[in-house]
Amino acid sequence: MRAAAAALAALLSLGLGGCALLAKPAWEQPPPPLRTGPVVDATRLHRSELPNGLRILVFEDDRLPRLAIGLAVRSGAAQESIEEAGLATFTAELMGRGAGARRALELAQVVDDLGASLDTSAGWDSMGVTVSGLSRDAATLFGVLADVVRRPRFDPAEADKVRGELLASLEGQKDNPAMLGRNAFARALYDGHRFGLPAEGSPEAVAKLRAPAARAFHARAFSAGNAILFATGDVRFPELLALAEAAFGDWPRGEPPPLPPAPPSPAPRERQVVVVDRPDLVQAQILVGHEGIARSDPDRVAALLMNEVLGGGEFSSRLMTRVRSEAGLAYGAYSYFGMRRAPGPFAVSTSTRVPEARRALDILIEELERAKSASFSAAELEAVQRLAAGSFVLGLETSGAVTQGLVDLDVQGLPADSLDTYRERVTRTSLEDLQRQARERLHPERAAIVVVGPAEALVPALEGLGPVRVVQP
Amino acid sequence: MRRAPLLVLALALASQRAVALDDPAARTRTTVLDNGLRILTLEDPTTPVVSYQTWVDVGSGDEARWTGLAHLFEHMMFRGSKRVPGERRDALLRERGSRGNAYTSSDVTVYFEDTSAENLPLVIDLEAERFRNLVISPEVLDTERQVVLEERRMRTDDNPRGRMIEALLSLTFVAHPYRTPTIGWASDVEQVGVEPCLDFFRSYYAPNNVVISIAGDFDADDAIARIRERYGSWPRAADPPRNPTREPPQTGERRAVVHLPVRAPLVGVAWHAPPSGHPDGPALDVLSEILSSGRTSRLQRKLVYEEQQALSAYGGYWELRHAGLFYAGVGVRPGQDPSRSEALLFAEIERLRAAPPTAAELEKAKRGFEVSLLGSLGTSNALAGRNAEELLTFGRIRPLDERLARIREVTAQDVQRVAAGYLLPEKRSIVHVLPGNGNGANGGGAR
Repeated sequence: MRAAAAALAALLSLGLGGCALLAKPAWEQPPPPLRTGPVVDATRLHRSELPNGLRILVFEDDRLPRLAIGLAVRSGAAQESIEEAGLATFTAELMGRGAGARRALELAQVVDDLGASLDTSAGWDSMGVTVSGLSRDAATLFGVLADVVRRPRFDPAEADKVRGELLASLEGQKDNPAMLGRNAFARALYDGHRFGLPAEGSPEAVAKLRAPAARAFHARAFSAGNAILFATGDVRFPELLALAEAAFGDWPRGEPPPLPPAPPSPAPRERQVVVVDRPDLVQAQILVGHEGIARSDPDRVAALLMNEVLGGGEFSSRLMTRVRSEAGLAYGAYSYFGMRRAPGPFAVSTSTRVPEARRALDILIEELERAKSASFSAAELEAVQRLAAGSFVLGLETSGAVTQGLVDLDVQGLPADSLDTYRERVTRTSLEDLQRQARERLHPERAAIVVVGPAEALVPALEGLGPVRVVQP
Repeated sequence: MRRAPLLVLALALASQRAVALDDPAARTRTTVLDNGLRILTLEDPTTPVVSYQTWVDVGSGDEARWTGLAHLFEHMMFRGSKRVPGERRDALLRERGSRGNAYTSSDVTVYFEDTSAENLPLVIDLEAERFRNLVISPEVLDTERQVVLEERRMRTDDNPRGRMIEALLSLTFVAHPYRTPTIGWASDVEQVGVEPCLDFFRSYYAPNNVVISIAGDFDADDAIARIRERYGSWPRAADPPRNPTREPPQTGERRAVVHLPVRAPLVGVAWHAPPSGHPDGPALDVLSEILSSGRTSRLQRKLVYEEQQALSAYGGYWELRHAGLFYAGVGVRPGQDPSRSEALLFAEIERLRAAPPTAAELEKAKRGFEVSLLGSLGTSNALAGRNAEELLTFGRIRPLDERLARIREVTAQDVQRVAAGYLLPEKRSIVHVLPGNGNGANGGGAR
């Protein structure tokens, strides 16, 4: 129908020499119906499991002669004690610094020579190794992956280098005002729990890390039963399965790692204000928030939709409309749930010129209170459902993104079909679900408030919000 | 319907078997309307996304009196038009699951919307509406200039790297408009009024200065017909004005220091290099790879890995429409001496000027460049963007195999020749961001 209308318009346009009879603009027509249903092309997705428990996922895509293979485990920074905060990052980084017969530079050389890349990383709940390059180098790339996962060298000299780099990087983070804000916010919520420190650790703990600790952490985290092996790109499933059996068939199953202690809740118990003193800054970084929800929370989709209306990142959100479009106070104003296996934080944030910090902060708190007061409309719900369901496939355009999404579900222990059922779950969310999420999840009255900027100007401006504490970066 | 590829590209990446793939350039169709509007269409049914991009051939390099105008104007394009006032446009698109934004550079201003095929008519209608019927009110301009000033505080004033780049550009270019920051000087953004905005709109936002590029899952015939209908009567304007200024030759090293309370000092260096399309471009691209791609590249290996002086070290060729730069930078480790990093950086540069890279280094660099070129073909947004950028820069979309052939032809001697010819000590500009009293930090416009 769309095609027919356009063709008619084109004919008219030709026939009338450019004075076309213009069709009604599309914005006057109702939006097309919401689409639900699967989003992952099942014909390209293959799964298997080796007898030792290693899960395997292959998502084939032969459009470009590229390949990414990787392995992720269900262990991460959340499992560290405070005394060893940073160990997962240290271990992951060190795994990429020499494996099997290759020392650090030899390993880097074989990867660089292929125009490929090797990434090792650690997050709160997972650690991973990914190797990507051209598909015709599959065997070499796979060999690198297997070495890095199973045979990292943990050379003491490399450990010294990595420790130095991580310490320098933690110190360098203090030049980033937004990072200062996030770190102070985490500490305000979770002081005494691992979540109170950055995932990359604390300088005190990192300074004590040595190669044997990384070796031991690797031995606990990396085992067949705790891992998923994945590949995407121009590769055939049987081919990959054969490589996997040869390289990982004799890998011990291992013990599932113990669950880390839950973060405190509620956090914080009462309103507190922290000013991180940076006298040189012209813009104040502002965060307001408290504990959030776990990634596996059954209310997750409803909470995310509520968050989207409030400040999920689009220009049309309530926070963006008030703080940016109407008041011109900031480039952006956002809200977000930090989704982890254990409940992570919920935060609302913006940054504005120092003299306007209080006005911006008052708007953020007002909007949190308004959200709590059953203020969502049916039109807002419908708009956000359309946004979430409609844009979902846009985020899954590349096979790399699909694979990442599926691996993420695996390491979080969530249902494997969650991507396919997402849009359906979005459309099932009711207005009452949204109101309830706001009522139960938002607590401006006992939020932690963090402001980074010149304390001299900020402290008087923040009067009346709660007890103010000034800290140094 | 997918068109048969006109050309199967042989990516002879090494002496092993070649990799074959369709060249998107060969499948792209160009349509020019009577008013000069150029339309590029690339159908690809293998993706669920269609990217609709409008490239305006104007950037901060075209600004005359008011710096930051191109970018401020880009912001105003989201604040309402005659028939779709206020924020309604954004709401209409978001409730259809469409995602979009815009950006401004020294050379171009780009508006993009990534969406599903069924929303394409809406996107076309809304884009035509705002390009033809934009409303600029003094009240909204006042709000939006505050938003831009906040963006500037975030990206530049309170950001050491932003301050370094701003200082380096104004040190390197003394005459060419590339010396001013795209986001503009704060005082200009604070004072510019409605009239200059309207002038700017009339001069540069005309069909003969715009390219529409669409890639992904859509029907090109339908889209072109609709664009013809919506944009066909948009009147052509006179050729837009361009700045005549060219950069005079640099005759000596230049240095500047920015004092900020940083923990990690920064070193930034720039040399003048040729603009886009110059025959030396491929050799400069290979040189970039040799210097900073991967842990075994010269700068990363020396400064970050072996000497442990830096958090990061990089160097690369930055080609712009009317002039180019070769830049290098070091994020110095807290507590280390930036002069030592600078000396190590220049020693590596001198080594490449004195002797050609090894055959293995050359091969690795070419491979790295080719693999990253492949990686840039992965999304509808990247494909549509590449097509428009090529057309605006070169007047055509260069086939991939042509670009790869130019890279493959580069010899070790070429790399040494461009290093020796462009990276001269007496033609470099150097900025250090050093710990110190943040006195200058309040110059950014906080009032």
